[in-house]
Amino acid sequence: MENNQFILLILCLVAVVFSTLMVFFRNPLSVALSLLMVLLASGGIYGLMGEHMVAAIQLVVYAGAIMVLFIFAIMLLNMKEEEHEKNNTPTIFMGVLAGLMILLGVGAFFIEADKNFMAPQAGPFTSNLMEQLGGNTKVLAHALFSQGFIPFEAISLALLVAIVGAVVLAKRKFDQ
Amino acid sequence: MISSTLLLQLTSLYLFIMGLVLIFLRRNTLVILLGIELLLNSANLLLVTYSKMHHVLDGQLQVFFVITIAAAESAIGLSIVVNLFRNFGSVKTSQTKTLLG
Repeated sequence: MENNQFILLILCLVAVVFSTLMVFFRNPLSVALSLLMVLLASGGIYGLMGEHMVAAIQLVVYAGAIMVLFIFAIMLLNMKEEEHEKNNTPTIFMGVLAGLMILLGVGAFFIEADKNFMAPQAGPFTSNLMEQLGGNTKVLAHALFSQGFIPFEAISLALLVAIVGAVVLAKRKFDQ
Repeated sequence: MISSTLLLQLTSLYLFIMGLVLIFLRRNTLVILLGIELLLNSANLLLVTYSKMHHVLDGQLQVFFVITIAAAESAIGLSIVVNLFRNFGSVKTSQTKTLLG
């Protein structure tokens, strides 16, 4: 569909532009807000592709909890703009060169793989079938609690460990 | 124009490289943590694209777990950053050191 392709292009462009801006900003708060824009654009891309549950989880957890936590930390530590350290030109050059090499190498691989792309025959979950079965959330929830049951329990254990660890780290005193 | 799956793969690659460049070149610990979040988000985008391309559900399931683990890891990382600030007085990577030399 022509409309879908156009909106997808806009969202991808927003994500690309704001991620490039993230590298150039000096203020940590601006970097965090640019990351928030990238996460919102990613959530829009997920919703456009028909994965509604992943889009909702991304908006609620990633853009709504993690970024708020980051902004709390920035405001708590009262981070202003970084003082202008002298521009280490060889380091910047090597960083840009490494990024360019990865971009060209893996990008060429993606373009080449897309040229010889054969029609996929694995997997039954086309969007029509998912709509018949009751929507993306229902199908994903069924898969989560039947096929991904052990990782689900392991994730709850990992979250418990994270909560205990965060409390311990915030309480420790170092003055002895 | 180019197909939508190729556009999404290239976008995910570009976001990954921007996250890597943030980790390499910035000297503020909290900005390095933001770069790690960008890396994880780009991997999520790629997983979801492939899951849609091959009409399976495994990619979306994996994204569910990755987002949860990213939340837990960023909470712990921020506690560590607050502790760094408490001990050394700043979060720049050039000043959080106790080894001499």
